[in-house]
Amino acid sequence: MIKKSYIIFLVVIISFLGISATWVITKANQSIQELPPVIKKVPDFEMVSHLGKPFNQDSLINKISILDFIFTSCPGPCPTMSSNMRTLYKQYKLHPDLQFISISVDPEYDTQEVLKAYADANGVNDQRWKFLRADMKAVKKLSTDGFMFMSESLPAGHSVKFVLIDQNGNVRQYYNGTDAGSIAILRTHINSILKNIKPKA
Amino acid sequence: MKRYFQFSILSMVFTYLLIFVGGLVRVSGAGMGCPDWPKCFGRWIPPTSLSQLPDYIDPEKFNLVLAWVEYLNRLFGALVGLIILITFILGYLHFKSSKKVLYSISGAFLLTLLEGWVGAKLVDTVLDPITITIHLLLALVIIGLIIYSSIQAYFAIVGNFEKDSKYHPHAKNVILGILVCLFIEIIIGTEIRGGLDMSRKDNPLIEGIILLKMLGPFKYMHTILGFSLLGLTLYLRKIIYDNKFKSSPFMVNSVNFIMVLIFTQILLGEALVFFEVKPLMQLFHMWFSSLLIGLSVSTYTYWKISIEQ
Repeated sequence: MIKKSYIIFLVVIISFLGISATWVITKANQSIQELPPVIKKVPDFEMVSHLGKPFNQDSLINKISILDFIFTSCPGPCPTMSSNMRTLYKQYKLHPDLQFISISVDPEYDTQEVLKAYADANGVNDQRWKFLRADMKAVKKLSTDGFMFMSESLPAGHSVKFVLIDQNGNVRQYYNGTDAGSIAILRTHINSILKNIKPKA
Repeated sequence: MKRYFQFSILSMVFTYLLIFVGGLVRVSGAGMGCPDWPKCFGRWIPPTSLSQLPDYIDPEKFNLVLAWVEYLNRLFGALVGLIILITFILGYLHFKSSKKVLYSISGAFLLTLLEGWVGAKLVDTVLDPITITIHLLLALVIIGLIIYSSIQAYFAIVGNFEKDSKYHPHAKNVILGILVCLFIEIIIGTEIRGGLDMSRKDNPLIEGIILLKMLGPFKYMHTILGFSLLGLTLYLRKIIYDNKFKSSPFMVNSVNFIMVLIFTQILLGEALVFFEVKPLMQLFHMWFSSLLIGLSVSTYTYWKISIEQ
């Protein structure tokens, strides 16, 4: 009853729409998951975790790391940053390859005990989230040379960025640690890296 | 008058394409490709590189592909708005006497303006799920009105093409039942889609198929209503083919097309559940449902014309 030509026309239109849509979806997916090439390698450093264990550049190898700079008595953006970090920490609890690192920019006040208490307050109960401290000079050096942050007015003037570091200790991307949209992008990047390293593991 | 009919068909085709493009924006995650409205990153032509961003926008939000996908949707939307405006003006010029044509195309035009405004709100509310659903439902009402007005215009031009038809007394209620079920089905569908997005946010690495299982009752309602729709359509087909009555080829073709589409929709829907939630399949699942709305409105209009003297 319906002419054959109509059916052919319909099939052609739908195929055309389907192919164009596939192209757009693929492009969009690639653009979301696209990670920039290596920005720079994290330089050598030496710090101590809230559990009293040493932590250096080698601790970044074979792990995906999300790193930020905070201080526990910070009234400003740190609570938001730590809360975002805590959400990620909870969401990725099944992935020991993903570690979270918060470096104190106020080592005088943030003693190992203070950091331990802060970790407890954030519900940290395993090795995946580490709170690091070192003397102020070393912190400034890592912040400036390692991550290209401004460090003149620490502790108050620390960066609110989250840094994504790949399994080879390379800085791959920066995210606004206070912004839900940025965190959503970070999550996509974490997922794509985790999927990529899965076969090796 | 003929010019009006041509433009109303053009409006219909372009509105359908726009619904497809809108769905594409949704499945490719480009909804926030431009964080501002109506401009994109403060520009009428979206930036093609980071250096073109104005200083008050965080460069981190910029994704070239998503910005252009979203912006093309807006440009295409503006074009469709323009076509509907021309159709509306032609309707006003030629169909002052036919209230059915004039009212429906006026409604379509006004709702198109509203639709643009809802689109802007979507960006403002950072893709609020309820606003997304309203955005889709409005588009469906607009397409329904455009189709109704084109068929009524065709009737005004060629005379009563349904005068020889005589439909089963149940036909009207069955068609209306199909329309109502379709709307409910689409709303549930958007809920499933929205729920899937939410739970995916909370469980980033779980496959879509497991998330779908977590959605529970909505999914079953969607399936049950889908099969009810199939039942209604098969019944409609039966009474349309009944020898005691007489159906126009328009009606027969529309009902057959509805049946084929509902079969396809059930297959697509179940494929989404049992295999993987593929964006392309989601897109067509949504788009076919908009075709179904259009076809059901057509059958209703044919029936309505058949009882005119």
